[in-house]
Amino acid sequence: MAGRGRGRGKNVSFNVEALGFGRGEALPGPISQPPPLFPTADFKPVPFQQSEEYDYMLALKQEFLGNMRKSPFFLQASHKRKDIERYSDKYQAAAEVNGKWKPDWRRLPAELKPRVRKKTKSSIKPSVKVKSKVKLSVEDVSKTLEELEKKEVDQGDEEEEEEEEGGKKKEEGEVEEEEDEIYDEEDIEEETDYILSYFDNGEEYGNDDDDADEGPVY
Amino acid sequence: MATAAVKEEPIEEVDFETRFIMLCQASPEGITDNVIQKELPQCDTKQRMTIVNRLLSMGKIDLLKSGSKLLYRLKDPDSASQVKGGDNQEKLVYQIIKDAGNKGIWIRDIRFKCNLLLTQVNKILKNLETKKLIKAVKSVAASKKKVYMLYNLEPDRSVTGGAWYSDQDFESEFVEVLNQQCFKYLEQRAAAAREAKSDPIAQRNASFTPLEDVWKYISDLGISKVQLSKEDIETILNTLIYDGKVERSLVAGQATASGDGYVKLYRSVQPLIPTTGLMRMPCGACPVFDQCYEGGAVSPTTCVYMKEWLEI
Amino acid sequence: MTRRQHDVCRFLLFQQFGEQVSVVGKYLLQKSPSPLHLISSETHLDTEQVKKILCILIQQNIVTFGQHKRGFIEYSIRTGEILNRLWFPKYIYCAKTLYGDAAELLLEDVLQRGQVQMSKVIEVVMQRFNEALETSGKQKISESFVVDKFSNLVRTHFLQRCLDPIKSESNKVVGLEVTGEEETLYRLPDLSRKRKKSHDDGPPAKRSKSERPADDEGDGIFWRVNNERFHQMFRDQAIVQAISSKIDRSAGEVLRAMLRVSEVKTAGMATVTTPISVTEIFNALPKDLMARPLLETYLSLICDDSTNFLSKVGDSGGGMYSINIYEALAQLVKAHIESVVQERFGSKCLRIFRVLLLKKHLEQKQIEDFVMISAKEAKDLLYTLFSENFITTTEISKTPDHAPSRTFYLFTVNIQHVASMVLNRCYKALYNAMVKKETEVNEHRRLLDKQERMEAIAASVEDASQRDEILNTITPSEQEQIIKVRRTIQMLDHSELQICEGIFILEMYLMYFKQRQKDKS
Repeated sequence: MAGRGRGRGKNVSFNVEALGFGRGEALPGPISQPPPLFPTADFKPVPFQQSEEYDYMLALKQEFLGNMRKSPFFLQASHKRKDIERYSDKYQAAAEVNGKWKPDWRRLPAELKPRVRKKTKSSIKPSVKVKSKVKLSVEDVSKTLEELEKKEVDQGDEEEEEEEEGGKKKEEGEVEEEEDEIYDEEDIEEETDYILSYFDNGEEYGNDDDDADEGPVY
Repeated sequence: MATAAVKEEPIEEVDFETRFIMLCQASPEGITDNVIQKELPQCDTKQRMTIVNRLLSMGKIDLLKSGSKLLYRLKDPDSASQVKGGDNQEKLVYQIIKDAGNKGIWIRDIRFKCNLLLTQVNKILKNLETKKLIKAVKSVAASKKKVYMLYNLEPDRSVTGGAWYSDQDFESEFVEVLNQQCFKYLEQRAAAAREAKSDPIAQRNASFTPLEDVWKYISDLGISKVQLSKEDIETILNTLIYDGKVERSLVAGQATASGDGYVKLYRSVQPLIPTTGLMRMPCGACPVFDQCYEGGAVSPTTCVYMKEWLEI
Repeated sequence: MTRRQHDVCRFLLFQQFGEQVSVVGKYLLQKSPSPLHLISSETHLDTEQVKKILCILIQQNIVTFGQHKRGFIEYSIRTGEILNRLWFPKYIYCAKTLYGDAAELLLEDVLQRGQVQMSKVIEVVMQRFNEALETSGKQKISESFVVDKFSNLVRTHFLQRCLDPIKSESNKVVGLEVTGEEETLYRLPDLSRKRKKSHDDGPPAKRSKSERPADDEGDGIFWRVNNERFHQMFRDQAIVQAISSKIDRSAGEVLRAMLRVSEVKTAGMATVTTPISVTEIFNALPKDLMARPLLETYLSLICDDSTNFLSKVGDSGGGMYSINIYEALAQLVKAHIESVVQERFGSKCLRIFRVLLLKKHLEQKQIEDFVMISAKEAKDLLYTLFSENFITTTEISKTPDHAPSRTFYLFTVNIQHVASMVLNRCYKALYNAMVKKETEVNEHRRLLDKQERMEAIAASVEDASQRDEILNTITPSEQEQIIKVRRTIQMLDHSELQICEGIFILEMYLMYFKQRQKDKS
């Protein structure tokens, strides 16, 4: 016990040789700087195992990753909006191999269904009401009623109002737009030169009639 | 007168010796030179000295000092027997050392065996050494330890380290050379077997080489200054087994002199797998692996080894 | 799940699905199961976005869900499924070697979509295949050809049905089945109603249920890849390859035949295959490969070999043989670890390591003698191995007072422990390679994109001189850099693949080891 921790005195309780240097030998030299961040490596890596199998699998791997990135499963960061339309968009859009993906709702919990709101995009695309996948909340219904009332008054302004609504809903984030990309079944992607108001897909037809016949809707 | 004196001397000397002893016996506490001079006037200094020396060496008297004078005292018989006991002790130690054979025995073990004090043992050992009956050999196991063995014995290999040690230094290069040579030989035999035989079992059997053959091959090569025994070659072949390059098989055979009734066969083998993937990139052997994390000073992006490796 | 595995999982999600998915993934890796609103709030992502992400992940079999007893739905992540994506290229390659190009395309599509309907995937594959055939001027293939390949894959269990969702009383989807009965998993929806191998023939119980009108087209039935089956295949391949390099190719073929026979007879995690008779093996071998006596020769050869893969367990039927799966895996793992020791510490350390593996417990002095190194060197090397946790010590004291000078210190190797450690290192190295590749690609993205664009444009241009002009917009120095970057990416990809081989064996071994522990207790 007496010798413990006393260092290299004359009487040490343990075998000094076990320290790695014997008595009388010099201590390892003084260290004047921190050890190098990347000391020289004694052993270099062994070269790769080359074979046709590996080459093919490499190609498969890269192809698979490439496909995954182009697939609808790959979500771009939402801020990557195109500020101006570029010529290359045409090429890149064409590269969308798998296009849209529709999840099969028979296999997924209902809560994961997106809340699709009736709105339009800012680009000149005719808005089409989404079919059975629309789950309108109460808010939406009242808004729709407002719209329909106004339609009586001014049909021409419809588009602007819808755009307004669309603007309001933009708070939800541009997420919605991407959602539409995926979940809209009948989205017409062509850019048209036609003014929207000339385009009559007949859906407003029924509404007007209703109003005319029945008066205000509750 | 002179001749008479010369002739008388030897007889007188013996007489002197006896008379000297009688004088000692007469005075147990010892006699001085003066007393001797008085009683034995014919005895001159030189003769006296001779007698004293003789008696001393025979262990019959003790030489003591009293003040400035010298005293000669007769040793009593008990202590005389102790002297003989001293001889016995020596004999005992000698016997112990002899029993240790050519492996020698460490001083501490001698002490345990004969139950003598360390100082006594040391003295006896010094004695025996001077008499050239025993010798000290440095043990290769612990460089500070010495073992004692009979003078004319050849130290056993466990002490000197055998063929692998020269002057306490382990001969690594020698071992490596032998290792490589043995392996090459076994590989040659395996290759020859593969070419000669078509049947896989025959191939396998032919690629096995008995220890005997390897020993002969190495001995014929003549790379060793010392004659290597079969056991030596066996230890070399074992290192090849531990290298993973060779495997051994025991087959029943004739009982040989070294006698266990088995023949040891060796052959070179292929590894199960080529180098594992991890070691084909720098991270495998990286010395600072544990300090590496993304965002740190050592990281995959800043890694010097990766950079070097990718550049080649 | 270790930290390193989590890192790799996160990165895989990031690579293949994007940043936001990896954020959700990271959260679920730490806190599964978790309900929707919690995920959204903790990851600070919009709920709608999270919904989408979850849909994607469920589709890809990465996330599963179930009903909490309080009624809401919880989502949990399956790390195993994410890590399995490392093997996808190998799955595809495997399908190709077994059943050809059509199967390759089938598998590619199934893997990409996660869950597919039979009709859809066949349609897609046909289109791709025929496109390629047309351009090369070959004959188009028929649908039945592709259907046939699909059936093969199902019959041999490489593809399986996705499990049906659990529905609550109100017929809402609330959870996913965890395990399916063997019979239903591999039932093809067409009229010929193929079944699994003979011994599993049960009564056609679910006949009525599956006779839904939509069944003919496979609609409503989704298919996915069966990971375990592929893993079993890889395991078998590793064993065959090992024996081929140790003995020769014919020995490998013998073992391959045996493994194929035992696929159906042996339980999944059995450490030893059920005994197989020589007759059966002979029938399973490819025709004309070898005569029966030669087969018997090889069997005894493999039995006698020091690797101990095969044992003779009986004499009926010409001899009953059994493959020692666990033993084989242990040997392979040892080989991988030894490879690490050799390349990292040198040949002398390898000797020390192997002598400890063979002799189990040794003192320092004994190690010195066996390995033939000097005491000083032994001390040095043993310390190195010890400090890196490849070897450990046990103390046996001679005296009750445990004094250091009177205690034996024995060195030993604990394979399971070392295997875990090496596995962890593999995962980290894999992660490092992936990160490095990503940074390299990002650094030079502009350049790579440019090259891609130029090549795409050049390919669409008819005129040769115009093409050259376009290609020349890339300067020679840029060209050089591009080549270098591509080479870098190639190397890193290659190293990822090769590390994965090691990971596979180590994981397999540890899995069997745990199973064995469980069986013993």
